[in-house]
Amino acid sequence: MHARSGSLRRRCQSIGNAAVVAMVLVALAAAFLVAPTERTMGDAQRIVYLHVAVAWVGLAGALLMAAAGAAYLVRRNLRWDHWAQAAAELGWLGATLTLVTGSLWAHAAWNVWWTWDPRLTTALILWALYAGCLLLRGGVDDPHRRARLGAVLAIAGAADLPLVVMATRWFRGIHPAAPAMEPSMRAVLLASVLGFSALFALLLVMRRHQLELQRLVEELTESEKEMPC
Amino acid sequence: MAFPHMTARLWWILWKDLVSECRSRRAWPAMLLLGIVVAFTFAGQMDLPPDEQKRVAGGLVWLAIFLAGMLALERSFASERENGCWQGLRLCPVSSHAIYLAKLAVNVVALAALEGVLIPLFVVLSGVPLLAHPAAMLLVAALGNVALAAAGTLLGALAAGSRNTAHLLPLLLLPMAVPAVLAAAEATRLAMDGQFGTPWWQWTELLAAFAVLFTTIGIMLFDFVIEE
Repeated sequence: MHARSGSLRRRCQSIGNAAVVAMVLVALAAAFLVAPTERTMGDAQRIVYLHVAVAWVGLAGALLMAAAGAAYLVRRNLRWDHWAQAAAELGWLGATLTLVTGSLWAHAAWNVWWTWDPRLTTALILWALYAGCLLLRGGVDDPHRRARLGAVLAIAGAADLPLVVMATRWFRGIHPAAPAMEPSMRAVLLASVLGFSALFALLLVMRRHQLELQRLVEELTESEKEMPC
Repeated sequence: MAFPHMTARLWWILWKDLVSECRSRRAWPAMLLLGIVVAFTFAGQMDLPPDEQKRVAGGLVWLAIFLAGMLALERSFASERENGCWQGLRLCPVSSHAIYLAKLAVNVVALAALEGVLIPLFVVLSGVPLLAHPAAMLLVAALGNVALAAAGTLLGALAAGSRNTAHLLPLLLLPMAVPAVLAAAEATRLAMDGQFGTPWWQWTELLAAFAVLFTTIGIMLFDFVIEE
């Protein structure tokens, strides 16, 4: 009975994974094949479909990391810290991809790889916050201490983000703010955001599970060392 | 804890840190020296027309304060970790709030001492009228000090709990303190020009909001940072 339910669960997981991969592939195919070519920028504009999706993932990671950190501080259960760690890693990946795709787009649109525009600056600060979180976590061995320090930094970073956005926005910016789009372009953008959000959620769950297993292995190794020969 | 008791205990820790720094001279001389070197370096690059000089001076002054002040912020907790001082401090009947506020106050004093040297030095070296409106400059400096010290004290304590203590604080504080440094630099630039309209108040309010936010976060979360 138990083996049968396990096999059913694995089958459901495989179907879910395949659905997420299909969503991402459909979104990418739509960005290249369905979305019309933009009049001014040409094919380079298609970067936007990926850029907006990964930027959303980068921001969602920061919020999730802070929420999981707060939950850890209240509950003191390392499972919450595994969510925070997974969100930090994937959020950092999202922020890195945002900077890379944004740079590619900026070079095509403005003929520069980088400019101190408010949104670019905010994206860079978000990336640096993630990097700081990962560095701090990497420098602490004790899991509970790592969870506590990581949670405090994540909460402080999330509280700081609105001020970062406000400060950088008060400077003049050249980044386009939600430009008007053709309905088909908007549909492709939505598909891309949904596809990458699903991929983010899937990777988040898988990474959290991996961290959970890693902790179990560490606990088993520790208890084995303590056992008398 | 009753307020007078907390104030007295806060004062004890503040006094202990100031006396310890006066005797050992471990952080402040290095901070002042770094500030002076950075001020000379920046002033050397400010051979610009007066208008351009005014435009960049605020940013450079606050960058110099930030870079040099990092040494004092980093030492405020790293010094406690040495020779078991941290355990001693934790064993004292003092709340974590009092420890955080006392460390914050020590860092504010350190940054004020740094500014007392750096701002006149910038005026002498580059001729920018940083002290044209002293009351406004004093307000911006006071808010900037509390803002940087509030974030720096909390992050300094976090960094002290990690293996990479020495390298971590600048990496954590620089992105986090961007709104404070930006607001202080812009408010300084506008104050130099005597423009005390809406933009000056906007930047000053942002600086105050940052200071209040990080002091509140520090008071709320410091207990989790120092927990053993």
